[in-house]
Amino acid sequence: MTAAPPPVREPAWPLSRSAIGLWVTEGIIGSVFLGIAATLFAVFVPSDAPAPWPLLRWLVPLAVVGYAVVVIGIRPWIRFRVHRWEVTGEAVYTLTGWLTRTWTLVPISRIQTVDVTRGVLQQIFGLSTVAVMTASSQGTVQVWHLEADVAQRVADDLAHRAEQVRDQAT
Amino acid sequence: MTRPPAAGRRTSPRIVLVHTATFRQARQFVPALIPVLAATGLGGGTTTVIALAVGVTLLSLSTAALSWWRFTYADGPTSVVVTRGLLSRSVRTVPNDRIRGVEVEAPLLHRLFGLVRVRIDAAAGAVNGKDEELVVDGVPREEGDRLRTAVLTHRATDTPRADGEPETADFARFDNRWLLYAPLVGSYLAVPLAAVGALFRLAQELPESLRPQLDGPELSDVHVLVLAVVAALVLLTAGSVIGAAVVNWGFRLTRRGGSLIATRGLVTRRHTELEIDRIRGWALSEGLGMRRVGAARSTALVTGLGDAARRGQLLPLGPRAEGRALGARLVEEPGPLVTHPPAARRRRIVRALAAGLAVTTAGLIVGPLLGWWWVPAAGVALIVLGVPVGLGRYAALGHAAGPGSFSVRSGWLVREQAVLQRRAVVGWQVRQSPFQRRAGLATVVACVGAGKGGYAAIDMAAAEVARFTAAASGGWASDLAPRRRSAPGSFRNRPVARPSPGPGT
Repeated sequence: MTAAPPPVREPAWPLSRSAIGLWVTEGIIGSVFLGIAATLFAVFVPSDAPAPWPLLRWLVPLAVVGYAVVVIGIRPWIRFRVHRWEVTGEAVYTLTGWLTRTWTLVPISRIQTVDVTRGVLQQIFGLSTVAVMTASSQGTVQVWHLEADVAQRVADDLAHRAEQVRDQAT
Repeated sequence: MTRPPAAGRRTSPRIVLVHTATFRQARQFVPALIPVLAATGLGGGTTTVIALAVGVTLLSLSTAALSWWRFTYADGPTSVVVTRGLLSRSVRTVPNDRIRGVEVEAPLLHRLFGLVRVRIDAAAGAVNGKDEELVVDGVPREEGDRLRTAVLTHRATDTPRADGEPETADFARFDNRWLLYAPLVGSYLAVPLAAVGALFRLAQELPESLRPQLDGPELSDVHVLVLAVVAALVLLTAGSVIGAAVVNWGFRLTRRGGSLIATRGLVTRRHTELEIDRIRGWALSEGLGMRRVGAARSTALVTGLGDAARRGQLLPLGPRAEGRALGARLVEEPGPLVTHPPAARRRRIVRALAAGLAVTTAGLIVGPLLGWWWVPAAGVALIVLGVPVGLGRYAALGHAAGPGSFSVRSGWLVREQAVLQRRAVVGWQVRQSPFQRRAGLATVVACVGAGKGGYAAIDMAAAEVARFTAAASGGWASDLAPRRRSAPGSFRNRPVARPSPGPGT
């Protein structure tokens, strides 16, 4: 069975390429922490421990290495290929995920607030996240990792248009 | 309706007595007092006990009086202001347009003194917790009703009110026979269990000398065992029925003007008001046991309602048909549900079997090592049980879109069907895992600013998604539909944003 066509349309615009760098950096940081934890595990588990421990002494470092390969070498690129976003005439539309994909569509008329956030790492790469909030706890759209100036323009544009077409918004 | 400008009003002094009796304010001193008392050493004797009782009562009385003295409230034309605090004063102002509902309740003691407690539910944004409420505790009944109407009239500018009370119509009434469904509902069954638990704790805390000397009954005797089990079952059943009766006694739903008013409760009478304008839909939930006898409960899905599960109840317990009919009077059902494709059934069964398979595999590896043969046995049992669970979960799945509303259903332990207006949708989320992709399925979540916040049509055919979303919400959802490939472009070079005309419903 080959991959079926996606259930809905793909948003048109890709993210900034710097997002790959950011994801790789995040992966490296996460792997380093896990590596430290695994090292501690290997150091503190005595070598003559009973039944399942010797096996774990091998499995844990292997798992960490596998995780590092995936999050540094594979996931950022898949994510970049998957992630897309678009602001249409009536809605904000995003596609996120790498294995499980999530499409989110929120009409501009139901937007309650628009936030632009810049994390520490994002600042290094000159990126920002636009978060669009609605009345629903599950209806939040986050457009990750746009170039800072684009993000600001998108946010202003959305806030402005939401003001104009807002109905009850709930 | 003219009133003196927002001068602080006081609650009734009688509330001091109520609070003295319930130790409402003094309760917080108890943890501090215990070590103090322990340190001074408690001699036995009647005098100490009496002194203690008098002291505690005085403490309770004084704290209750103090907090009554320091508490004022004012309902102005634009906002409600509550001032309180013993040492640090706090003034809370809630604009009237932020008030989502007013609840008047009368606990037993309050009723003896002719008082009520008014809870004003204020939309405090995303902050959740108890602070969303303003509580005006202990006003006479008439004042409570006045406050409720005053606050709601100021807020609801759109509700046309001629003179006096608008017409009142009965919407639904609870039939006491429906209390017999209670033993099949998990939450009501929990009531007697909790009571038994509390009793045991109390018994443990009793001094040794006061505890009756009971030998454990001889459980080896089959008759005694059977008797005990039967007695426990009877108690559990009776307890759940009584629990349900206490909460739901005399449940009545009336429609007055633009709101639905629910009253209920045996000991504590509650009076909850829902604005019909804010109702976006309803949900019918049927637990595993309730489904056997065709019982259900139905809840209104209201935007911006704190504690919606309790306040939004349309029918706390009753026949399924009744719950449906009640909901349909608010939001019409879209028609029969569309079942999901066979791939969804496979997926449900596989998922239901996964736990059993994992346990069995683990058991087959670990079992021989440690001699735990019950592990794989339990795994096999889980697998066998998994089949009906998976089938049941599949049978629950369904979705439908009609002219004014749409509906989704899922769940096995508690099967929940939500019926929502088209305008309720504030966003769509489509999820597809790699397995769903291969099976041609997708999960669609309608994001809604009411109830749980999102209602999912699990594992619907991927090809159906665009049609369903377009049919179940406004025209904006057609953005999801696959369309001719437009020029990729990016936000930088896209044409100037044009404001879309009119509300996007």
